This record gives sequence, structure tokens and C-alpha cells, in this order.
Amino acid sequence: MRVEDLDVNEMIGDVGKIICEHDRKKGVLIHAFQKIQQDYGYLPGEVLMTLSKKLSLPLAEIYSVASFYKQFHFSPRGKKVVRVCMGTACHVRGAKNVLNALEDEFGIKQGETTDDLAMTLETVGCVGCCGLAPVATINEDVVGDIGKKKLELLVKAIKEEEK
Amino acid sequence: MVELTIDGKKVSVEDGITILKAAQMNGIKIPNMCYDKRLRPYGACRLCVVEAEKQPRLLASCSTPVAPGMVILTDTPKLRKVRQTVLELMLIHHPLDCPICDKAGECDLQDVAYEYGKPEGRFIRHRKAMPPDVRGPLVELTANRCILCGKCVRICSEHQGRGALGLIGRGFPTVVQPAFGEILECDYCGQCIDICPTGALLSKPFKFQARAWFLEEKDTICPFCGCGCTLTLGTREGNVLRSRGKEDNGRSEGNLCGRGRFGFDYIYSDNRLKTPLIRKNGAFVQATWDEALMHISDSLKYIINSYGKDSVGAIGSHRCTNEDNFMLRKFMVSVIGSHNMDSSAAFGYSKVQKALDMAFGLKTHSINMKSPLGKDVIFILESDISITHPVFGLNILQAKREGSQLIVADSRDTKLTRHSSNYLKMRQGTSVALLNGMMKIILDKGLFNREIVSKTQGFTEFETSLAEYTPGKVSKMTGISEEELVSTAETIAKAKNRMISLTVSATENTKGMDTVLAASNLVILLGEDIDALQIPAEYANTYGTYKMGIRPDAGKTDVKDIFDMLYETNSLNALYIMGEDPVSTFPYNSKIMRTLKSLELLVVQDIALTETAKLAHVVLPASSWAEKDGTFVNAEGIEQKIHRIVDAPGQSLPDWQILRNLSLSMGKEIAIRNIEGVSEEIKKTIREDQKTSDKRVFNTVSYSAGEEPDMEYPLSLVTRDVLQHSGSMSTRSKALDLVVSEAFLEINEDDARKFGISDNSHVKITSRRGTIYLKAKVTDTVQPGTVFTSMHFPHGRVNALTYPSENGAAGTDAVKIESVKG
Repeated sequence: MRVEDLDVNEMIGDVGKIICEHDRKKGVLIHAFQKIQQDYGYLPGEVLMTLSKKLSLPLAEIYSVASFYKQFHFSPRGKKVVRVCMGTACHVRGAKNVLNALEDEFGIKQGETTDDLAMTLETVGCVGCCGLAPVATINEDVVGDIGKKKLELLVKAIKEEEK
Repeated sequence: MVELTIDGKKVSVEDGITILKAAQMNGIKIPNMCYDKRLRPYGACRLCVVEAEKQPRLLASCSTPVAPGMVILTDTPKLRKVRQTVLELMLIHHPLDCPICDKAGECDLQDVAYEYGKPEGRFIRHRKAMPPDVRGPLVELTANRCILCGKCVRICSEHQGRGALGLIGRGFPTVVQPAFGEILECDYCGQCIDICPTGALLSKPFKFQARAWFLEEKDTICPFCGCGCTLTLGTREGNVLRSRGKEDNGRSEGNLCGRGRFGFDYIYSDNRLKTPLIRKNGAFVQATWDEALMHISDSLKYIINSYGKDSVGAIGSHRCTNEDNFMLRKFMVSVIGSHNMDSSAAFGYSKVQKALDMAFGLKTHSINMKSPLGKDVIFILESDISITHPVFGLNILQAKREGSQLIVADSRDTKLTRHSSNYLKMRQGTSVALLNGMMKIILDKGLFNREIVSKTQGFTEFETSLAEYTPGKVSKMTGISEEELVSTAETIAKAKNRMISLTVSATENTKGMDTVLAASNLVILLGEDIDALQIPAEYANTYGTYKMGIRPDAGKTDVKDIFDMLYETNSLNALYIMGEDPVSTFPYNSKIMRTLKSLELLVVQDIALTETAKLAHVVLPASSWAEKDGTFVNAEGIEQKIHRIVDAPGQSLPDWQILRNLSLSMGKEIAIRNIEGVSEEIKKTIREDQKTSDKRVFNTVSYSAGEEPDMEYPLSLVTRDVLQHSGSMSTRSKALDLVVSEAFLEINEDDARKFGISDNSHVKITSRRGTIYLKAKVTDTVQPGTVFTSMHFPHGRVNALTYPSENGAAGTDAVKIESVKG
């Protein structure tokens, strides 16, 4: 989606009729972010700037909304997003070790992306399969029961898919 | 009305207001941290909780509306305990670094903690450990001290309409920051500093200057624009250290812009004059007052004897008080015997005045800063009121928020266009065509009361003169589409009530007397009163200067006005300039310099050695606005007192005293001993002009472009004010110079490519009158075909390019630009 083509009234639908102009514009922000992120993989600064001009909303206000949600990102994301679960069950079963191992292996900290944009490392609260703890996900795939061997496989899986 | 009981007191208040407001109106204090009456209720701090009878929950009084029969308690043991806990929670994160915090002593958080706090907190949590963000020029952000009340964010976006700050992030790590954590780039109004309840936002120039309890505070009136805001100046040991606005204080009700808040330090500029200077063999030599005054009086006497009284002229100043200007007039009339007097108002307020006299028969025009509020439609004509009159601009934004339709016609993106409901992007300097076109549409559609209006003098000629302004033609002239023209004209005509506003001043070249006349025609056509037209006088005492009779038409006829005095060589032999710098601020300065150099005697009385003073034969040191008593009249026509707050440097004296002393040297006793004496004389001499009149006259005006761009000079130069400066006086302020320190040329991206100009490179700009060099700023806020600059900076010499528009038309200049290599 081109930000320039964004139609506030169309996006907000019938609700728009009962709220004021400013709220209408603010109301479409999250939709707009989601669409931008779909296209670019993250929210580039200059696109948010265009959005700010298009909606006549201050950039700080837009950034403030976007920064509230964990789902929006402001820097390019890796092809593979690896999420290490830090929920209670995983924590008890050594999630920290998994995270540390991955951080060391790829030379990035949690929340960072490798320079070649191959991988982004993140932590999550709970994936919802505590029986498999400790758990990590590579994009949509779940890897559970990560012991020493599984860890090697995990690293391999991440690296393999890079190619 | 709603009746309720607060703390046992029966009160009756308006329906729909909050409990907090009801309590405040009845003198009951409820502690709060995130409430400000200018902002919408937010309910973040939870300190304002109150108990209500038959309500198990506590209510946040700042966001709960009153209901009939409510019984409210604002101070009970239970509430004290709750507030104490809330404070305890706030103080988990807030570092107790009060000993090194400038806010200490006037900090809301400190005060509330003092009242409710207990020595130790029960909760432990890591404090934020962010270093203060000191990157911006004037405002310092210390996130560690922030309690996240959101006041700064809200005042910036809701009230100032800027939105430079946001609450970034979520939960504990939330910080107040500009987007992407970049350097704060904003209007630098500093409203966030005043409103911050802690020391999270502080003024950088004031940092570590003085503890709050050592400051002596005194109110005075701002010396910059015509809004006449009240500044509360804090001094210590005879130095002004800061300026702030206090809630509900003065015309501005506590609002200030960056000029008022940070610009006062121009009085400490390095080139303040401390002694009189006399030019001897081409160079200035320091002199005593006696020598200087004798020199002037001898020369004046000689000139009067040789060439007559009418060979002497004087220029007064909007920077000086009424008393100063009155004394200049008295000196000229009773000591010299000449009526050749004028001021910078000739390029602005005088034009407005002349036009309104022609249309409404009024000799005085004041605005009402509150007039935008409650208007159906607000129409702003090619004026950046948020910059020229920032606090008046705030009321326009407020009106828009409260439901007024804001229509802005402008050639340049401004804060008002960003907030407008309709933005008519027009070609610069075509306001007259736009107005005529709209009136033609209104006439054709019969959207006016023909019966009444047709009886108005000049209607037939007026109607005929509009014949050629068909929507098609006007659309071509102004660049606004026909549909937009028609719909705007209809909206304005059909509105229940309306306000039309614009500014006219020496620093802008897109509007002239014709614009005011055309706007008056529109007002008369719609059957409105003159109140529908709000044209503020430009500077702090422009109104007063005019009122005191520093104008060519005040006394006799056949006197010389500013165009004769400054642009005609040999029209005068001696010129006395008080507090004005024509070489920097008036158009076509090469001609002015030629005239000034040809004078036999040029006396300049100013606070600093200005570009004009450098040409003088005698320079007299005057006190600045903070160093003398007197009165200013703001654009509303309201007279306000200014006070002597600090001592004047060196031997400088208030302007009126210099003039009195000079009168004595000339051998004329004018029987004025002190400032009260001057005030009494003013009361006796100056009568109030009538403010209402039944006169209505249509004046036909036709659109004529300024200097049209051609093959040789292909671009139009537009000059306007920038937000951080007002006239050339503010450029002496070190604080304001941190934000904008030099003139620059704004140019559209397309033009920049066409002329091979890159951002930040130097360009040579040439008009038919002169050449200057400026730095280019490539932007999309100006339209193709125009370049934009401001004329505040003496070294920018923008006035080398411009020309004075005498005939009433706008005066845009045609220029060519070249990139400067190397």
C-alpha cells in the first residue's frame, strides 16, 4: 500500500461518522501500521513521516502509538524471526541458557537482527506449549524440548534456512 | 446549574463541569499533578481523588462531572492515605536529586510530597538511569525525573498544535521524547517547561543560574509582538535570569511563545551602548552626555536657521514606550516646530488604519484576542498568525478545536494550514484577487442582503469593478480551483458569524493596503461589523506609537512621511531616529543608506549599535524595555505598564529623559520632571479615538501583482517572519540565536534542481535593487516559482532586494538566484 493512497474514511468505516476528525485519523493508525509493516517488514521512519504529512498528525504522536505495541518494529527484520520462550515453564527448564547460546552463536543480543538481515532474535512471554519447554519458534515452526543436542539442531536449522 | 456540597459547603455550578473545577471555583484546593485548565481531562496522576457520599469508589475529580446532590469530601484521613500511597508510587521512580534540580522550590511534586509524603517508601524498584537529553538548544529533557503525567505531550499537541513530544514506549520504560528519540525540534515556546510538575523539562539557558527561592519575580509586558503578554521575570542580583508565564496572568493568561520566554536576553547583548558616541573624522569617539547633547542642539539650531524647521524629521519606535514616543512628539512639535514624524507602522499598521478609515470611518483599530472563540468560520488570509502573533494564534487553534471551521488561504505551509479545515493553496500576493473573486461569487449567488448593502456608499462602482473577477479568471490568478473558490465563498457567506484575519507589516511583502480594503469590502458585503475583521498591530507598542501621534497625519497636512524622509534624498537635512533600525528592517535599504548618508545630521538613539547607528553623526545610548518604567499598548488597544526591573548599563537613559535633556540643551523648558509628569501630559493631550462608527463605504480595489517574475528575474521573493524572531531586536538574543541564527533562503525542491542548488549551499540572490548571499534550504513548504526568506538578520541584508510598496498593492519582489561555487 502506498501511504499517499490511504483513505481515512474508507479505512475507518461507519464508526467515522460519529467521531471527530482527529480521532478518525488516530483511529486508522494501527491499520495503517499493519499494512505498512506487511509491505516493508517494519515501519521505516520516512514512511511514517509521509503518513504524518498525509494525516496531518504529528510524527511524535504516530511514533508514540506505534511504540506502544510490541508487534511494530522500527528497524528491518531478519528473514527468520527466532523467538525464545521465556515463560514460567521454559524459564524453569533453562530458557535462559537457550537464549544465551543463540546470542553467543549469532553475536547479537535479544531484540536485534544480524547484519545480513538473516535472523532476528526475540523473546516471548509464552508460546502456549509448556509441555515442550524450553521452546523456541523459527517463524511459524515450533522447536521444543531444547537440550544440548536440540540446540545444535536449532542453530543448524536457522543457518540452513539462511541459504 | 447543578447544586452539590463540597466539604460541607453548598455550591451551585454550571452543568457539565468537573468536580475539580467546581471545587477550584469555590476556593477549595484539591492536589493534582496532571490537570491543566487548558487541556482536556486526562486522569493520569490519581492525586485528585475525592470521596463521594454513597459511592464506594473514589472519584478522580479532574475527570468526573458534577451531578446534582453530590456530597463531596476532598480531605479525609482515607484520602490522605490514598494520596500518600499514590505519591509513594510516584517517588519509587523519581530520583530525589532536588539539590541539583532547578525546579526545586517551585516543584509541584516536591510541594505535594512535602504535604503528604512520608520519609520512607515501602516499594523498591530500579530507577531509570537515562542521562539528561541536552542535545536541543533550549529545552533539556531529564527522563529520570518524569512522572509520566503527559502534560507536556498534551500541551504541545492539544494546545500549541505542534506535537513535538510523545509518550514513547509502554509501561515502566515509557519516556517523553520526540519521535525516534531524535533531537527536540519544535517551536521552542517552552510551554512544556512551565507546565511540567517536576524537573523533567527545564530551560537550558536558566540551568544552574539560581535557586527558585533566591529569584525575585516581577511582572512586565513582553517587548516583542502586539499580543502584549505578561512576562514574569525572575531576577537575581540585578540580572534577569528567566522569564515565565503564570497561570491566568495578563492578556496571555499564562501562555508564552519562545520569544517572550527566551528572547529577553537581548538586553545583555555585547554591543549595548554605554556612552554617547560622536563621529569625529569618520570614527566614533566616546563622549559625555553634555558634549553629545550640545553637539546635537548646536547642529539642530544651525540646520533650523539655515533650512527651516521643516528640514528636520524624526522616526519613533514601536520598541519604545508611549512616554518615549510622546516626548519625541513633544520635542519635535514644541522644540523643533516640525511635524515630520513617522514610524515603522507606515509599512503595516498605518496602512491598515488608513484602509479602515476609508471603509468604516474609524481612526483606531484594535483587535480582540478572544474573538476567534465561538466563531462559525475563521478565514485567515495569507498570514502566519501563529508566528507573528503566537498567542493570538493559540486562540485560533483553540477555536478550531472547539468546532470552528478554519479556512486558510496561503502560499506556504504553516502551522495554521496544517490545522485548517480547508487549505486554499494560493499564489503569493494574490489575496486581493482571491477576495474579489469570492465577493463576485457571493454577489452572483445573492448570498448577501441586497436591500441593505445596495444603499451603502460606493456599491454600484464596487459591483461593476468585480465584473472581471470571474471564478475562471481568479482561479488562474490565484492558483485555487474554481470549485474551491465557490465552496469557500459560500461557506463564508452562509456562516452564522465569522472572523477574517490577516497581518500587515514591514517584514511581509505579500499584502498591502489594498488587501485590507478588499477584506473590508467583504465584511461590509456580508453585513458584518468591523469586529469581524481582526488585523493585529505588529509589535509591542506599534499601537501606542501610532496613538501618541508619531504619524504624518496626526497634526498638520503637508508633512513628510517615512517615504519622503528615508527614500528621497534632500528632503531633510536632519533626522532624529529613536529606537528604530531602518537599514535592517525597512525595504530597499540601499536607497535608505544613500539618504541617511546625505544628511547633515543623523542622530540615532538606540540600545545597541545598529546598522543605522553606524551611519549616525551622534549615537545616544538608551535604556531597554526592562530598564525603564512606562506603558505599552497592545494590539487590543489595552494600555499595560512595564517596569524598571534591572539597572541600565553604563550611562544609558530612558528615551524620554534623553529627549527632555535635549530640550533643555536647546534652551526650551518643557516642564516635565518625571515619568508621572509625562503620563499626565499624555492624559491631557491624547484623546481616545472613537471605537465604533456607522460609516460603511465600499472602496473598489483591483488586483495588481507586485513585481512580476520575468525571463531575467524568474522567481518571486516572499518575505515573512520566522517564529523565533520579531523585528531585528530579537536577533541580539543569544538564546534565540541558538535556534535560528541566520537568514536562509527556502526554495522548492523542483526549483532547486532547476537552478542547481543543493541544501545548505550558498546562493547569490539578485533583484533589480541589489544582491545578497544566503544559505539555501531546500523544502517542500514553499511553492515552485517562489523563494522565501525573513528579514530579521541585519547581516542577511534581505532588504537590499526589496522595495517599499506605497500604492497599496502587495510588494513581492522578482529575483534571480545562482548557486555559488566553492
